[in-house]
Amino acid sequence: MIADVLRDGLALWPVATPLAAAALATLLHRRPALQRAVMEAAVALTLVAAALLLAHAARGERLVMAFGGWGAPFGVTFVAERLGAALCTTAAAIAVAVAIFARADVRARRRRAGFDPLFLGMLASVNGAFLTGDLFNLYVWFELMLATALGLMTLDRRRAQIDGALRYAAMSMMGATFILVGIGLLYGAVGTLDMADLSRAIAGRAPSVTLTTAGYLLLAGLLLKSGVFPFFFWLPASYHTAPIGVAAALAGLLTKVAFYACLRVLVLVFGVGASAPAVSGMPPLLALLAALTMLVSVLAAIAQVDVRRVLAFHVMGQVAYLVMGLALASSLGTAAAIFYTMHTMLVQTGLFLGAGAIARAGGGYDLRAAGGLIREHPFFAALFATLALSISGVPPLSGFWAKALVIDAAVRARLPWSWWLIAIALVTGFLTLYSMSTLWTQAFWRPPKRRERRARPIPPAMVAAVALMAACTLGLGLAIEPAVRLSRAAARELAPEPPRQRRPPDVPPALPPARGAP
Amino acid sequence: MSVLLALVASGLVGCGLYMVLSRHVVRMVLGLSLLTTAVNLVLFLTGRVRSTQPPLIREGSERLGDSADPLPQALVLTAIVIGFALTVILAVLTLRAWRAQGTVRSDELRAARALGDPSTPEPGGDR
Amino acid sequence: MLLALLLASLVGSAAAWPLGRTLGQRSVGWLLALLPAALFAGFLRFAPIIAAGREVVERRGWAPSLGVELTLRLDGFAFLFCLLVTGVGALVVIYAGAYLAERTAADRARFLALTLLFMTAMLGTVLADDLIALFVFWEATSVISFLLIGFDVDSPSARRAALMSLRVTAGGGLALLAAILLAGAVLGSYSLAEVASRAPQLAGTPWIGAIVAGVLVGACTKSAQFPFHFWLPNAMQAPTPASAYLHSATMVKLGIYLLARFEPVIAVVPWGRDTVVGIALATMLVGAFLAMRAENYKAVLAYSTVASLGILMMLVGMDGPMASVAMIGFLVAHALYKATLFFCAGTVIHATGLSNLRLLGGLWRFLPVTALASMLASLSMAGLPPFFGFISKELLFEAQIESSWDVVPMTVALIVNSVIVGVACVVTLRPFFLGRGRVREVRHREVTALLVGPMLLALLGLVISVEPDWFDRTVLGPAVSAVYGAPIVVNVQLWHGVTPMLLLSMAVVTIGVLLFVYWIPIHQRLRAQTLLDRYEAEHAYDLLLRGIEAAARRVHALLQRLELRDQLGVIFGAAAAFVAWGLLAARVTPRLPGDWGALRVGPALMALVGLAGAIGAARARSVLGAMIGTGLVGLVAALEFLTYGAPDIALTQFAVESLVVVLLTAVLLVLPLSAPSTRTARARWRDAALAAAVSLLLFVALLDMIATPQPTEVSAYFGAHSLVDALGRNVVNVILVDFRGFDTLGETTVIALAAVIGWSLLGPRGRERAERTPAHAAPRAAFVLEFASPLFFRLLVLLSIVVLLRGHDEIGGGFVGGLTASLAFAIVALAQGVDEARRRLRLSPLTLAGGGLLLAVASGLPGLVTHGDYLRHLWFELHAGSVQLEQGTTLLFDLGVYLAVLGTVLTFLFGLAQEAER
Repeated sequence: MIADVLRDGLALWPVATPLAAAALATLLHRRPALQRAVMEAAVALTLVAAALLLAHAARGERLVMAFGGWGAPFGVTFVAERLGAALCTTAAAIAVAVAIFARADVRARRRRAGFDPLFLGMLASVNGAFLTGDLFNLYVWFELMLATALGLMTLDRRRAQIDGALRYAAMSMMGATFILVGIGLLYGAVGTLDMADLSRAIAGRAPSVTLTTAGYLLLAGLLLKSGVFPFFFWLPASYHTAPIGVAAALAGLLTKVAFYACLRVLVLVFGVGASAPAVSGMPPLLALLAALTMLVSVLAAIAQVDVRRVLAFHVMGQVAYLVMGLALASSLGTAAAIFYTMHTMLVQTGLFLGAGAIARAGGGYDLRAAGGLIREHPFFAALFATLALSISGVPPLSGFWAKALVIDAAVRARLPWSWWLIAIALVTGFLTLYSMSTLWTQAFWRPPKRRERRARPIPPAMVAAVALMAACTLGLGLAIEPAVRLSRAAARELAPEPPRQRRPPDVPPALPPARGAP
Repeated sequence: MSVLLALVASGLVGCGLYMVLSRHVVRMVLGLSLLTTAVNLVLFLTGRVRSTQPPLIREGSERLGDSADPLPQALVLTAIVIGFALTVILAVLTLRAWRAQGTVRSDELRAARALGDPSTPEPGGDR
Repeated sequence: MLLALLLASLVGSAAAWPLGRTLGQRSVGWLLALLPAALFAGFLRFAPIIAAGREVVERRGWAPSLGVELTLRLDGFAFLFCLLVTGVGALVVIYAGAYLAERTAADRARFLALTLLFMTAMLGTVLADDLIALFVFWEATSVISFLLIGFDVDSPSARRAALMSLRVTAGGGLALLAAILLAGAVLGSYSLAEVASRAPQLAGTPWIGAIVAGVLVGACTKSAQFPFHFWLPNAMQAPTPASAYLHSATMVKLGIYLLARFEPVIAVVPWGRDTVVGIALATMLVGAFLAMRAENYKAVLAYSTVASLGILMMLVGMDGPMASVAMIGFLVAHALYKATLFFCAGTVIHATGLSNLRLLGGLWRFLPVTALASMLASLSMAGLPPFFGFISKELLFEAQIESSWDVVPMTVALIVNSVIVGVACVVTLRPFFLGRGRVREVRHREVTALLVGPMLLALLGLVISVEPDWFDRTVLGPAVSAVYGAPIVVNVQLWHGVTPMLLLSMAVVTIGVLLFVYWIPIHQRLRAQTLLDRYEAEHAYDLLLRGIEAAARRVHALLQRLELRDQLGVIFGAAAAFVAWGLLAARVTPRLPGDWGALRVGPALMALVGLAGAIGAARARSVLGAMIGTGLVGLVAALEFLTYGAPDIALTQFAVESLVVVLLTAVLLVLPLSAPSTRTARARWRDAALAAAVSLLLFVALLDMIATPQPTEVSAYFGAHSLVDALGRNVVNVILVDFRGFDTLGETTVIALAAVIGWSLLGPRGRERAERTPAHAAPRAAFVLEFASPLFFRLLVLLSIVVLLRGHDEIGGGFVGGLTASLAFAIVALAQGVDEARRRLRLSPLTLAGGGLLLAVASGLPGLVTHGDYLRHLWFELHAGSVQLEQGTTLLFDLGVYLAVLGTVLTFLFGLAQEAER
């Protein structure tokens, strides 16, 4: 009985668990200790649920949860395929790391300010976005993500936080506007909101003004939330102001969810990469944006002296590689982007958490004043180095495979502009290594400015959180085979089925309403 | 009549954007709420203006007769409420910004920009 | 077996760190040296197979779907390297144990562990047959070299050198990676053997140029070839054992190794060999020249190493079997004597604390054995019989004479070798034998650990030349065959009789000796010569870094200059550009709706009013005006909704608008009302134009949409099933709570968590928490309102409940209900102050919000339990006496929404009111 219910709801738990926990934590807003307990339990459960879901999806079982029992395209459905399940699991793993970190970082005041409900709400929204098969539902989750992110950013109500949140809110609402208008136009043209159904319906159609406008507005909105040039301004304006644990969660989740949505909408709904996409001209545009984002972000990162700012710009730089994979409009490119997404989620979070630990030990985020941590914290230095090398694409860490896969896909795509793209990707890789090696040297290696200052101890919780992420990137790099298989299968699953196979949308269960049910 | 609504919607979008571009944060917020309204009109429009009958199933009838498309209305309702929530949050942020920095001009709100900027003197950071 | 050795090496070196911390200073080197020694023995066991001209291959999959394998291949060449790496490794570890005697146990352990790790990486690189696997180990050597060079944490120059070597080698690594991926894409395999054997196939592709270039860059950066040679002398910041191991005997030869493996590929492009030899000659000359100028003991050795690497590179580039023989021979000879000399240099520096050759002298009295070792090595380096160096030099000249090359390389080789002879004399005679009395006493005498390495290697250089058979058969011959690609029988012997080679050698030695005799004057002359400093490649490196930093600063300044409004402008300008680009790319023209419908006056007028309101809001000078304008637009929108058959939206819109007004007023009570224009006239025009463009695009798109026929399958379905299956007559509400109830759930979460945010942003903090302002009278509203407010309150609450209950069948529902209820409290707050409203609410609004959300989430579970569908609503009939009303879990859901909305609005209402009082 219980087991059946648990199994039936498998696609639901990764969202319902944090959702219910968020409500509970809100009720407990005067009891920080209980809030924490609820949050940690919920996060752990979410990870378990997501992992189970992934286990199912990896077997090719396509779990569908039809809310209210109305199947697509009439009701909202969750569709747990490989891609969504894998990203859910990654997100849950990140959440676990952040929760561990929070034990040392989030004090009672922040909890009273609502850290736990907001964090859980964000986790729910992220997983919801990963799992939903409905376009408008996706929009709802995005708005929830935005709201919770705003709350989390401003936990301390510092001037800078309010300021950053204001900018983030303004720009994201612009993005939401684009997305919503795009969705509206799509519905107006096709009359459905279910993504699979949309893709079937659109596949046949000739390009039209409505479809094109819808497609490009959605693209603009989603790229904005992915932090891609020239929409990225909100990211460096806000990330460095947030409490570091929060910043880590944001860095790992927000932009990647947006990119995931981008992937889904472009590849599945508009058939980018298919023989006859419903919107023209996207791949070259994406390639251009990817290249510009890479160069701008990595150069801007090199100019920074604040760890958080450096990392914030690298978040963009890494997203650019995802966009590059997407721009190739090939199954390999999509697969590479998918693997890259999993990798970068883990590593970005790890780096930001590491930055928090650095500040805790060194007394600040300013690299000009930092230094000398390697003496007291050699192990932590090694952990951070692992993450730094991973983001710089040094083997055998996941970052190396991610870059290699994207570049390889670009080589095999043999597009007229792949050459420029590959060259810029390599240069960016070098500059990333340059930036990260400088950062590591300044923070850990070089003796501190004021010799007499010894590094303070780092709470074990912080080290544990960073270690978790470092272990993930190393593990992902060594066990590359299953990861690649997964992402390639996911890419295949994502691609729309050819139009000839078009079948009428599945009719929902016509059984009579359960009157007088227990 | 749809055309008329389309005209209004895009007109509102235009005005909203113009306000959003202001340096005065309150204007910007109002502009955003104007945009929200405009987007709601667009969403409503996606069902076309088929009929002026509300989508209520009359007594004695099993199914919905001739009426407006109910789905866009549901979407609009959702969007309105979400937009409301975000607008209010934004307003409160503005208030906080005023309290903290004594200005509501976006070009004078420098806290985030100054935090950890390379031009700031050492040790910088905010601890 | 090979993998076993590799894993053993990895595990062992990983264990060395904790182990080394515990072991004592005397024993640690010797004990840890057991690992490489054992590996050396392990590899020796393959000698028979190798000698028989066969090779050991172990295939293992790693990432089959990528075509990446962990295949290990031990052929003659790899075998030679394995022996070199493990053998020298053992001696280095022993030596380092004593060399680092003064360091803390932790430092010693770190150094030794890194050295062993490096050995593992080296073994992996030379054993790997799969290029990707090779690259993995290749990069590992770069990273470990980075850590070893920077071992001395407190020395800035060490840090700089370490970063330099990392950036140069890893940068080259990227080029190599690109080449590997290209080759893999062409051949469909990353196997090194395949690449070598199928070189012609590569030649056919347009990518061959890129592939060769990538390999060349990778190899040249690693092997410190011109113009990347500059990192190697800097790398001498590393502790001397590391220099001896990485930067003379093993790592820097990896580039040579790679080129030798890729030789067939390089050979297929016309410019391949020429480029290699060209680079090699440049490297030789630069190295020789700088070696003559340097006066730091290790620097002299480093520059001569650069020159030697150039010679190796040249031999790789030359064709003919003799080139391969000479290359292998010189590789071995150089490894033996150069490692020895580094060891000796280390001992000297360690003993005297001096590193300037001009200050050293007469050390043989203090360090006799070291002096002897250095002597032997130098003789080999100078290429005098009966040392192996002599043989290798003979081979070198023989190869040059045989090869199809003209006189240029020959002369260069002549000069460079003479310099090498000179250096050989300098680094031994000056510190040990000449200038006695320059050094009065030494800090440390020799200890065994410091002598084993140099003596063994130096003697080896003698042994393999006087007793060469075994060495030829098992090491030299197979290695040469592996490199040349065809079996070659090598038998080197000391005496060929009087050959051109011998004459050349003699010439070289004579010049070299002369160079040594006049070392001081030449040296000083060259030092005075600063012209070349300016063109030293290291400056190019510094320039590059400075360029990067400058570009970075420029980008940063650019980003910082953009303020929020610019950024927003860029954002939707770009969005509009996107759409325009899409329309151009798709070459579509907008359709126009056929019938524009009858224009009805009422709605049209309303529309005009709305637009007027919007424009007014946009142009308003005061915030208040703008707000009124916006509010007007909201009301008009509501009316439009009402006229076009959307009473639910209209109702919600009314409620929302009024609440927004209430809340914003509360905000504006705090903010300054006057809002002077913040934009110049030109800026305003620009913004207006941009906005107009966007709205025009949208208008066109909307027209096109209206003109498109829309499939109504879905909405029709709702109409058909709303009552039958979902038991609701108000289809919109049914969609909200049932068909698309999940959207509503998400939206409810937004609302509820907005309450948390309001709580966090408006709630009292820190000090304020302590001194909560007690209920002080709110601004009194009109008497009538105050008098009537309780009545209003009750009426509105009642109304809200009615709206909630009938929602499913008539206009209304949870949202409107909640909003109505909050209006009730708003009125009370307005009339009698917030605290009165609080009192009436009794519990914290946040509790309401949380509870509401929890209720909404829970209301979906029964359906999951009974039917396995979350949010499937269940229905049951309540018999209350005669009345019988039908209710479902929808009510719970709607109630949850109701509470969440109420709680949230009140949170903000109360919070803002407090804010105003403060």
